[in-house]
Formats: sequence, C-alpha cells, structure tokens
Amino acid sequence: MTEHAVQLSGVTKRFGEHTAVADFDLQIPRGTILGLLGPNGSGKTTTIRMIMAILLPDRGTVELLGGSPDFARRNRVGYLPEERGVYEKMKVLEQLVFLGELRGMTRQIVRRRAMEWLERLGLEEWANKKVQQLSKGMQQKVQFIGTVLHDPDLLILDEPFSGLDPINQDVLESIVREQQDKGTTILFSTHLMDQAERLCERVCLISRSRKVLDGNLKELKRRERTGTIAIEFEGDDTWLARLGITNPQRVDDAYHIEAGRGVEPDRLLAVAVAERVMLRRFELLEPSLHEIFVRHAGQPDPEPALGVAGGVQ
Amino acid sequence: MRQVWVVLRREYIERVKTKGFIIATIAMPVLMIGLIGLSAFLSIQAERSERDLALVDLTGQLGETVAAGLEAVGYDVELVDSDVGLQEMDRRVTEDEIEAYVVLDDLTIQEGTFAYRGNEAPGRVRAALFENVVVETVLELRLSFAGNTAGLRELLAGGRLSFESLGEEQSEMERVSGIATGFAGAFLLYFTMLFYGAYVLRSVLDEKRNRVVEVVVSSISPWRLMLGKILGVGSMGLTQVGIWVGCAALIGLLGIPMIAANWPAVDVGELSQLMPGAGSLGLLLVFFLLGYFLYSSLFAAVGAMCSTEEEAQQAQFPVMMLLIIPFILQMTSIEGSGLPWMDWAALFPFFSPIMMYPRAVVGAVPWWMVATSMVLMAAALIGTAWVAGRIYRVGILMQGKRPTLRELVRWIKQA
Repeated sequence: MTEHAVQLSGVTKRFGEHTAVADFDLQIPRGTILGLLGPNGSGKTTTIRMIMAILLPDRGTVELLGGSPDFARRNRVGYLPEERGVYEKMKVLEQLVFLGELRGMTRQIVRRRAMEWLERLGLEEWANKKVQQLSKGMQQKVQFIGTVLHDPDLLILDEPFSGLDPINQDVLESIVREQQDKGTTILFSTHLMDQAERLCERVCLISRSRKVLDGNLKELKRRERTGTIAIEFEGDDTWLARLGITNPQRVDDAYHIEAGRGVEPDRLLAVAVAERVMLRRFELLEPSLHEIFVRHAGQPDPEPALGVAGGVQ
Repeated sequence: MRQVWVVLRREYIERVKTKGFIIATIAMPVLMIGLIGLSAFLSIQAERSERDLALVDLTGQLGETVAAGLEAVGYDVELVDSDVGLQEMDRRVTEDEIEAYVVLDDLTIQEGTFAYRGNEAPGRVRAALFENVVVETVLELRLSFAGNTAGLRELLAGGRLSFESLGEEQSEMERVSGIATGFAGAFLLYFTMLFYGAYVLRSVLDEKRNRVVEVVVSSISPWRLMLGKILGVGSMGLTQVGIWVGCAALIGLLGIPMIAANWPAVDVGELSQLMPGAGSLGLLLVFFLLGYFLYSSLFAAVGAMCSTEEEAQQAQFPVMMLLIIPFILQMTSIEGSGLPWMDWAALFPFFSPIMMYPRAVVGAVPWWMVATSMVLMAAALIGTAWVAGRIYRVGILMQGKRPTLRELVRWIKQA
C-alpha cells in the first residue's frame, strides 16, 4: 500500500487548440475525501477521465492505487461518470450483476450484494423491472449502486449530486461518509461549494484548466483567514465605541469587526469581559470556500446560488 | 477472457429473449413457406378457369387426340364442329360465352404452330401445356406416316448422354442440388451478414448513446468489449440460422417419407439427393463465420463513429455497398459461374462469402481458388479487426459530429 490513492504529476491534456488540463499535480492520500472544485468547463471531467485512463495525458504521469492505471487497478475503483448511463432495456438486477461480473465478481456474490444495496436504497421491488421503467432519480441510485457494488478502494464520483432531490442527496451523502469511514478514498467533483464544505477533508480548486490551490480544508481556511471578528452580545454597543470602533458592520445580530488598528482579538475579548458584556458569540471568521475560490481564481463562479452566506461556525 | 464472456453472454441473452428475435425466427420460415405456397396457389387458381374453352380442328386429324390430351392435363375443352366458322367462334368469345378457343390447321401439322384466340393471353403454364399436347399429337401423326414409330420417337425424344463415371459420381440431381444450395446459401449469407452486422452497429451505437460505455470501458478494454459484442451477436445469429436449418432438415426428413407414401410415382431417391450434403453445410458455416466477422467489425467501427441513428444510416452506406455489389453480380450467375472475370472477383475478400460459396458448392472453380479466398478473407479479417478496433476505441467516447476521413486516419494512427 503506497501512501497515495491517486498521484498526478505534470499532467497536461490538449484537444486540438484547446488545453483542457495544464500541468496538473495532485496527490490524494489514502482514506481521505477530496473535492475537486471548479466551474463548469474548468477541466474536472477531463482530469477524472485521465485518472481512469479513458483519456491518456499528452504529458505527465498518472498513478492509480500505487501504479499505472491498468484494468486490474481500475477494477478496484468505483467510477460514476458525469454523463449518466444505464442499459435501459435491461432489468435492474441483471444490469448490476453484469457490472459486477465485468469487474471480476462471481455471480452469486454480486447478486447478493446488489440485493442488499437495492433494499438499502428502497429499490428492492424494482429489482426485476426494466431500468427504463424507473424514474430518473431511481436510475441514478441504481447507477450509484453500480459504482459501490464491488467494494472499491477508491470512489471517483463526477458531479454525484446533480439531478438529485435534497432527500436523495442526503442519502447519498451519508453513504459517501460511511464509505469513507470504512477507509475508502473518495474523489468527487462538484461545482457546489457548500456541499464540498460539508463533505470534504481536502479540496482542490481548479479554474481555467489550472490548479489554483489544494490542501486540507481546515488548514486552508485558517491560512486564508482575513482577520474579521464576529461578536454577538446582549445590551447596547456603547462599549465598542469606547474602544474606538465606530459604525461596526452589522450582519444579522452580529457585529463584524476588522481586526488590527489597535483592535486585536485578545484585547477585544479582555475589554468585553471587563465591561461585563453578556457575550453570546465570539468568533474569528473564516472565509467560505467560495470566497477563497474567488480570491484565488480571480473570477466569480458563473454558477448561481453558491454558498455565499457567512462563515462556518 | 472472462470479461469477453460476460459481455458475450449479456449481448446474447438480451437479444435472444426479445420479442423481435422470437418473431423473426418464427416469421422467416413461415414467410418463406407462405410465399412459395401462395405463388403455387395463385398459379393453380389462375388455371382453374370458370369459363369454357373450345377447340376448332380444321385438319380433321388432330382434334380428338388433342382434346383427350388436354383433358388428361386438366382442361375440359369442347371440340367444336369445324362448320361453325371462326367468325361465330370470335363472337362467342367477345360475348363471353367462352373464354378462348384454339384453332388447329394445316400449319399445325407442318410446323406445330396453332392459334389461341381470346381476350386475354394464356398463362405461361397453360401455354406450355397446350404446346406440349399439340406437338405430341402432331409428332405422333407425322411419325405414323413414316412407319417405325417407336425408334423415331426415341430419337426425337433426344439422344441421351449416359455418363460413365471414372471418378466420383455426380448425378444430374446432385448438380441441381448444388445450384440450389449455392443460391440459397448466397442468399442466406447476404441477409445474415446484413442483418447481424446491423445488429452489431445498433448495439455499439446504443451503448454509446446511453453513455453506459464510459463505465464499461473503465472495466474492460474496448477491444475486448468489441470482441464480446461481435461474438454475442454472432452466437445469436448462429442460434437463429441453426433453428432454421434444423426446421428445414426436419421437414426434409419427415417430408420425404410422406411423399414416398402418398405419391409412389416420385423417385424418392432422386429427391433426397436434392438435400444439401453435410459438406456444403460445413462450407456454409466457414463462409458465414469469416464473412460475419469481416463485416461485423466494419459495422462496429461505423457504429463507434456515429452519435445518432441518422448519421449511422448514412455512414453504413459504403459497407452496405460492399455487400450489395457481390449480391447483384451473383444474381447474374445463378448457375454457379458467370463470366470468367467474376471467378476472380470472387477472390476479393469482401465479395467472397456471397460469390465464392456458390461457386465452391457447384464446383465451378478449382479447389485452390476456394482455399485462397478463405486465406484472403482471414487475412482481411485481421486487417479490418485491427483498423476497426482502433476506430472503435477512440470513437465510442466521442460525442458530437462524425469524424472526417482525415480524423479517422488520425484515430487509427494513434497509439
């Protein structure tokens, strides 16, 4: 067992004139869950396809589970492509059996596992129905079962949550967490920053075919901290004025105060205690993933409704 | 290899259990038998005339014999007194009292020509039967003038070549059987390669269109996937053809004793010689396998190039032409061999299944040509499989517009 489940070094992929991925380095330590984040068209899917050796890089090397991505290694990966696809005319169970057998499982084992998963996701009654009779969401669940069926060491999920309703998103999230608890390494791509904030240990941000930054999410946020302090308290705010803070920024019940200019966090706290202010909240604000992304990629994400709301508590 | 087997089995089972397969398997022989039956029925129906036929004998020597002869082959003909006059007879025809009438005159005795007067021309069967009866009667009459009727009859019936074999014996029936088997075989090869090839194309295209292929090729190499597909559809094809051949054999085995029991006049021994031998069936299998793999790999490549049904319709045209040209050429040489250059055209691997098989069965070409065509087909198969495999590998993941010829060449060159 090498340390990394996936290791990309200097990977570049061009399609004609267009460079889809440029000089990309990435290491995913085993057992972690990494979010590959970026707007649409930034090169996420191309990167994933190169990891799965569906596309070959023009330059650079790809290592998967400690070696070249041959079929033996790829069959220990559970891969959910961005473009969802199922054999519409096949029965649900038969389709899962086919996928399992293709990856070297025996018929009996794959049948039993597939049934367990179908029961778990509430699809057992559909096992012998044709896939085309299922709703889109159910088809997506069947496809997800297809990716985890063979107990992979690495899960690669390309935009796994798109097209799912909130309830099923939660179901999927809990399964992803559970897989991670079992020690499975997980790589998933998304353009939904708030989802990534909830799930990821590590993130890798890409924009315009290039990696912007990557690392442990907590460390990243600490490093990216801007020095804003959020406080909430009972009573009036005259004590703030005495510290020389005039017109503090109000966000809901909280006051956002820029640190510095003689207002250090420890001093602010000491004064609050001395003034017997009833503090409800005192926090060094961390930037949201979206803010970090915008700061580094220099362009707002074109996708609407992103996680813009304040810091994480 | 296990993966190839998994793909093969899926492809086979998913196809064989469809309604389409079951219907096609049953419908094809039913349709064939039905068509033959229908055409036989119609020709009999056409012969069974509701209206009367008449015969006017101006010679006074032929009438009764001809009428008797026609009655023997199923025509009730009224022998009209020659005094009635042809104008009166024409009137009867125009006023629909009779359908038509036949006039025998001196020219009939001299040359065997006679008039059939009616509104509609006689059917081919009727014309042939009438001619036969009249000529037989005239001959009989003329021979009786010459004496020694029996000997002359023999001579007139045609000298007969009696073949004294020094090698293996091939009777006339065997020759006819060869022609029939060759023709039917070429026909079967044409349709199976066309239909099963189209199945392969469709299967590739479907997998590409519903995007399953991306998951599948992350577990199995495109080459194996293509192989599994082609083998799967091929197994389905063999099953189907096997059912047909089996049914035909069963009908033959049960039918011949039935014929023997009901129509003692039929020479059953000769009839059973009409059945194709094991040799020509074995040869058919070899040509089917080589031809099917050759064409299905081409169809697979076409499927991988396209993203939509419409594109595929257009893109498969060149491949279809490769099938249609030999079929048309073969139609001009049903007896086995046509123009000499066609024997050489039959060596072209893509033409071989349809053109070489009938030649091989009839024995129209030397054995070394048959062997050479098989070697060439096998070589071509390796070539097309290589090229098709490369196109397939790149093509199945491509969406959007069809590649240009230059892009195709680049796909093939890509390592």
